[in-house]
Amino acid sequence: MIITRVLEEEGLNKYLVEQVNIREQCAWVHADKAEATKKAKSLVKGALARAEKLIPLEDIDIPITGKALVIGGGVTGMQAALDIAGQGFKVYLVERTAELGGRAYKLSMTFPTHNCGICCMQYCKECVFTPKIEDVLQNKNIELLLESEIQDITGGFGKRHVVVKTSKGPVDLDVGTIIVATGSKLFDPNRISELRYSNPDVVTTVEFEQLIVEQRERGGGLKRPSDGKTPKTINFIQCVGSRDKTKGNLHCSLVCCTYAIGQAREIKRMNPDANVYIHYIDLRGPYRGFEEFYQAAKEEGINFVRGRISEIVEDKGKVFVRALDTDADVLLNIESDLVVLAVGQEPSEGSDALAKMLHIQTDIDKFMKDINPMFPSEFRRGVYIAGTAQGPKGIRYSIEDAKAAAASAIELMKKGSIKFPRIVAFVDEERCRGCGRCEKACEYGAITVTKDEKRGVLVSRIDEIVCEGCGQCAVACCNKAITVNGYRPEQVEAMVRAITEDIQGVSSDE
Amino acid sequence: MSEKFEPTIIAFTCTWCGYPSASLAGVNKIQYPPNIRIVRVMCTGSVEPGVIMDAFEHGADGVIVIGCLMDNCHYVSGNKKAQERVDALKKLFDIMGLDSKRLRTEWINASERAKFAKTVSEFVEEVRKLGPLGLEKKKVKKQKTQEQVKKAVKQLIEDTGAFDCVECGKCTTVCPIAKYDTTFAPRTLVLKAMEGIVDNIATDKHIWTCSTCEQCNSMCPYKVDYTGFIRGMREEAAEFGAEPSCSQGGLIHSIQRIMANSDLKQKRLEWVKKDLKISDKGDVFYFVGCLPHYDAIFYDREGLKMNEIAESAVRIMNKAGVVPVVSSSEKCCGHDLNWTGDEDNFEKLMEHNVELVKKSGAKKVVFTCPECYRTFNNDYQALMGDLPFEMVHISDYINGLIESGSLQIDATSAKPYSFTYHDSCRLGRHSGVYDSPRTLAKGFAGAKFIEMENTRDKALCCGVSAWANCNANAKRMQIERVMEAKKVGADRMLMFCPKCQIHMKCAISEKMPVDQSAVDVKLEDFTVAMARLLKLLPEETSASK
Repeated sequence: MIITRVLEEEGLNKYLVEQVNIREQCAWVHADKAEATKKAKSLVKGALARAEKLIPLEDIDIPITGKALVIGGGVTGMQAALDIAGQGFKVYLVERTAELGGRAYKLSMTFPTHNCGICCMQYCKECVFTPKIEDVLQNKNIELLLESEIQDITGGFGKRHVVVKTSKGPVDLDVGTIIVATGSKLFDPNRISELRYSNPDVVTTVEFEQLIVEQRERGGGLKRPSDGKTPKTINFIQCVGSRDKTKGNLHCSLVCCTYAIGQAREIKRMNPDANVYIHYIDLRGPYRGFEEFYQAAKEEGINFVRGRISEIVEDKGKVFVRALDTDADVLLNIESDLVVLAVGQEPSEGSDALAKMLHIQTDIDKFMKDINPMFPSEFRRGVYIAGTAQGPKGIRYSIEDAKAAAASAIELMKKGSIKFPRIVAFVDEERCRGCGRCEKACEYGAITVTKDEKRGVLVSRIDEIVCEGCGQCAVACCNKAITVNGYRPEQVEAMVRAITEDIQGVSSDE
Repeated sequence: MSEKFEPTIIAFTCTWCGYPSASLAGVNKIQYPPNIRIVRVMCTGSVEPGVIMDAFEHGADGVIVIGCLMDNCHYVSGNKKAQERVDALKKLFDIMGLDSKRLRTEWINASERAKFAKTVSEFVEEVRKLGPLGLEKKKVKKQKTQEQVKKAVKQLIEDTGAFDCVECGKCTTVCPIAKYDTTFAPRTLVLKAMEGIVDNIATDKHIWTCSTCEQCNSMCPYKVDYTGFIRGMREEAAEFGAEPSCSQGGLIHSIQRIMANSDLKQKRLEWVKKDLKISDKGDVFYFVGCLPHYDAIFYDREGLKMNEIAESAVRIMNKAGVVPVVSSSEKCCGHDLNWTGDEDNFEKLMEHNVELVKKSGAKKVVFTCPECYRTFNNDYQALMGDLPFEMVHISDYINGLIESGSLQIDATSAKPYSFTYHDSCRLGRHSGVYDSPRTLAKGFAGAKFIEMENTRDKALCCGVSAWANCNANAKRMQIERVMEAKKVGADRMLMFCPKCQIHMKCAISEKMPVDQSAVDVKLEDFTVAMARLLKLLPEETSASK
């Protein structure tokens, strides 16, 4: 904050600041100017009262361990690991499966190059990228833990103790920064019964990718799963599991439109006579180059049909797609040789448990949340979220995340220590009775009740580095011995009292 | 009031979702009524019930706590805890006669700007319909000058006989606080005041350290009233803006002040079961005190059932053929306010209660709570002169019933246990009731009564009074007292004071510097134990201590 910097420059304590938000809380939300002004005045009064009770504080000096942990060996995790390792820091890269690369490894028609996923080795004759997997494997600063999962994380900012469950037993790591790149998983179309996913000729986009890969290896054109015939009419169904509150998720999965168009174009490339339909609600591809990509697809003869399909019908061994073309207002019943479901994304398995371990807040749809949605990898006690763990996104954007997270982690570890605001719990040992309620209430393990040998009593002690300053201990405390700096009850009370000062009582003495 | 009532509503919002959702509503210019005043906290789990009550006391008509969505708290579980506390507080509101609709929570994601605006708009409308809270505005302090305080302290020294102090130090030797806190001594406090040092009266923490147990008074060879002196000093300190650092975050004192300054329709009689006989008018008034409130306040403490005390008292009276007056309009006796220097509100409560008893036509008021008993008997009469009714503690009263033949103690304890009796300071040293409980105790057929080492006027203190500081020293006293009971081989320790029970149960249920086996004693209210003995209340199955 500019104000705190100015205060520091002038030699004043930066904790002696109180802010009133009269724009968002008064001017912009109350049309009645007189009322808004009245409210603004009372809020200012409240802030002044609170400011009077503020206490000067000093920052906490937190040492940062110069090792990083990257969770997830997909395109995001690999990029982050490479960047950090490139700056000379030790990186532990933990991956659940037996191989690196994640989902991107399996993709071959990625936007905008209409080309392989950047880290894959297949279909790579014209690949302009250096395969990332080789880079990771050869980097001496990266210690790879495959078929491993995070079991437990303790400690706090700057020094976290991580237990990793590996095939060879648990491994203990001490790290200063953590990058969470656990990715996402695909929506299971079985959840929407009218899509008849059980039919072998109804496949997801990722399964369709495999059909294409097979044909590349084998040659002889695309073959559908049921009878090996070359499909002539192919329907792409968009938003499967996305933008659907009842059977799927509310969110848009962002990449499915571009990906489906890429696949559709690939079909046309292989067989210009194929009838390809893309059923969409809105086409979403706010990326550089998307418009050209889309125009090219249209010119290649791909049919874009606006409307959500009602159902896929199986009749006498044939598959029909029933849909309304909402632009033409025409009911369609298209006999289809192959249906491709553009499935959306959900948080990956176990991401909720990991979020809990790291105390990362999750969104309504359970994707992990950045502290500030505008700023990726905004300062967060050495723990950063990158890639699709934070929400569906394209490869390029996952890489950006990875680089931002790595840069933040590197900056932190290069400094070796950091000044952190002392908005943490504070124990008045004279008042503390060592009851242990705070210890129980703390979600971070920041509090321990220990014996004060000199006085022969139990007393609660706070690890300021682990404490996140939420104040749950303060309320649990049975003698109000714990308070959170900056949010002491008397400070909050003073504010409330000042705000309510002008209120008329029933019978006032004034 | 012809003007439309405009409520003032305090919204406690968390830093991560509640506050940002309001900011987003602002950025999007979504309109909502200006009655909402936002107070940001780190987490809704850090909102003290005492602070919420304080907001109401100071004029808020409604309070809403807004945090992250459930299961989505930035701090893991803060919102869940906040919800639990608000629910408990709502129960307390019901008892107090405050409409619990005035207090609510809402869980809003940072992005749900419209939900924020909608929620607060609806809440404003709801509170507007409920109308003003009807609390008298809190009085501004008298603003005494330094000179006036000096004079008052001088008078106090005279009134409490502090001039007679011969500096023998006996008081400090017996003081349970001085035993652990070497910086505290009753004698020094008096000396300091006599030397005319009143400058730091507002910040002198020792004024609030005293547990007012009266060990010193009972030992003083010159009968100096130290506790009276402390009480008076607190009144002066309060004039200078000093507040007791309450162990309950000021919640209990707030409730009492709200009672003093309102005419709310309380619901204090929820504990009265259908088969209990009570009346509106009659000869005997049973003054229940704060028992129903304690059950709501200490909802999360295991094994605390304060309402059982009241139930037991009425059952015993009913058995003796007495139908007591029990009133929902009863207010707190004011003990805690009186002992924390709030004379004005104490007097308001006193006047109300005396009037209430008079109206009922009662000739006798029975108390289970030693504090209520002391307050009526000593403090009310000191201020109002002799009251036109007799005040009796339940131990004396039951003895009277037995003597007159109305009540026969023919029951035998189902489970032969050994027990001891803890003299609470308000009943023993403050009121001189020592023998009646012991007479009753000796009548517990089948159970063995044992005295502890320190009994009667030498009884140890439960560590704290009027919810002032309950620190490690207080805890030591609490544990020490229970250990005494264990040492003489008692299975149970009986006592009359609900607060002694709360304090000691608290101490032995939490982390302790001594082994659990050293305090393995069941703490029980005396009246409840009597009711159980008379088979008027079932014996507890699992020994909850």
